[in-house]
Amino acid sequence: MIAVIALAIGVAAGIFLEPTVPLALAPYLPIAVVAALDAVFGGVRAKLDGIFDDKQFTISFVSNVLVAALIVYLGDQLGVGGQLSTGVVVVLGVRIFSNAAAIRRHLFRA
Amino acid sequence: MTSARRDDLLGDLFRTPLDPGYAQAAARRAAGAPPPRWGRAARSVTLAAVGFLLAVAYHQVVAEAPSASRARDDLVADVRSRQRTAEDLQRQVDTLRTQVDQARDDALADASGAATLRGLAAGAGTAKVTGDGAVVRVVDAPPQVDPVTGHAAEENLGIVLDRDLQDVANGLWQAGAEAIAVNGQRLTATSTIRAAGGVILVDFKPVTGPYDVAAIGSPDLADRFSSSTTAKRFRRYVENYRMQFSVKARKGLVLAAAPEPPLRYARPPSPSPSVSPSPSGGRR
Repeated sequence: MIAVIALAIGVAAGIFLEPTVPLALAPYLPIAVVAALDAVFGGVRAKLDGIFDDKQFTISFVSNVLVAALIVYLGDQLGVGGQLSTGVVVVLGVRIFSNAAAIRRHLFRA
Repeated sequence: MTSARRDDLLGDLFRTPLDPGYAQAAARRAAGAPPPRWGRAARSVTLAAVGFLLAVAYHQVVAEAPSASRARDDLVADVRSRQRTAEDLQRQVDTLRTQVDQARDDALADASGAATLRGLAAGAGTAKVTGDGAVVRVVDAPPQVDPVTGHAAEENLGIVLDRDLQDVANGLWQAGAEAIAVNGQRLTATSTIRAAGGVILVDFKPVTGPYDVAAIGSPDLADRFSSSTTAKRFRRYVENYRMQFSVKARKGLVLAAAPEPPLRYARPPSPSPSVSPSPSGGRR
């Protein structure tokens, strides 16, 4: 319950504060979102598995976002920005999908 | 997890999508380690951050989409306002020119001289003229629409080109026109009809279809042009490429004056005597 309220507060803050993303940070935003989604899906699956851990969740979120941003930055510097971002999206996408499949199995037994 | 498996990165990724950290944490808890006290707060903050991130990203995407079209709208508005300014200036030029002409006529005591001058200006295109003549209208063919897909064909052979307008103008001169204007732009001896980036420019001013080429000339101008080879060629275009083409005799046409050509190299002599050539001359 607290989780849902916190999420709603975050969304509301994002909507009402209307922060403008600095141009330099704009390329990191989509990757950060995918990384955050990965952490969230992992957390939900762990919750359903009964092994959810606050510390693990928090650290996985922060590190996911930071590593994803680092990879995008590195790709930019190396001149392969697009490809490395694609790699990040593919890897995280795979994880999101299989976590989502595990969640689905938990919820619908199918 | 065995070391042999550890090498297989992708396989590992597909098999164990969940962070093994969760299992380890669970094992630690089972072993009796107390959960951190700040756990709940950290979870809330993290989730708030996730929500914030999602909202910001959504915002960003929504804000980004219209920015391109907004830039385009700004440019269009800019172009419109500049065009309006240019038109205002042109009007100003026209009124000033009429005043100048009036003043010149007043200054010229010799009435026949003034009439000659007016006639020459009319012929050269730098004076407004009126009279009977013909209007030739050429219109781009509508784009071919594929009946199956409903998409317009990319290539349209029935587009009016700068060359076509040149041909029409030359045909009209040949048929005895004394003054010609394309969409209100008067042609003179130094006028150009060119294309730049798919737009036809008459004296560097863009004209768009439908193109009306108005000409003043003898009463049979329309008939003579209609029977010319140029008109015949355009009728063929009408049949083959569905371009639209019509020649109509018109009474009481008024053609505006062309802007006075700017002097690029010649200068009126300055009144000071030092510039005027010395009688001995040619010393160099």
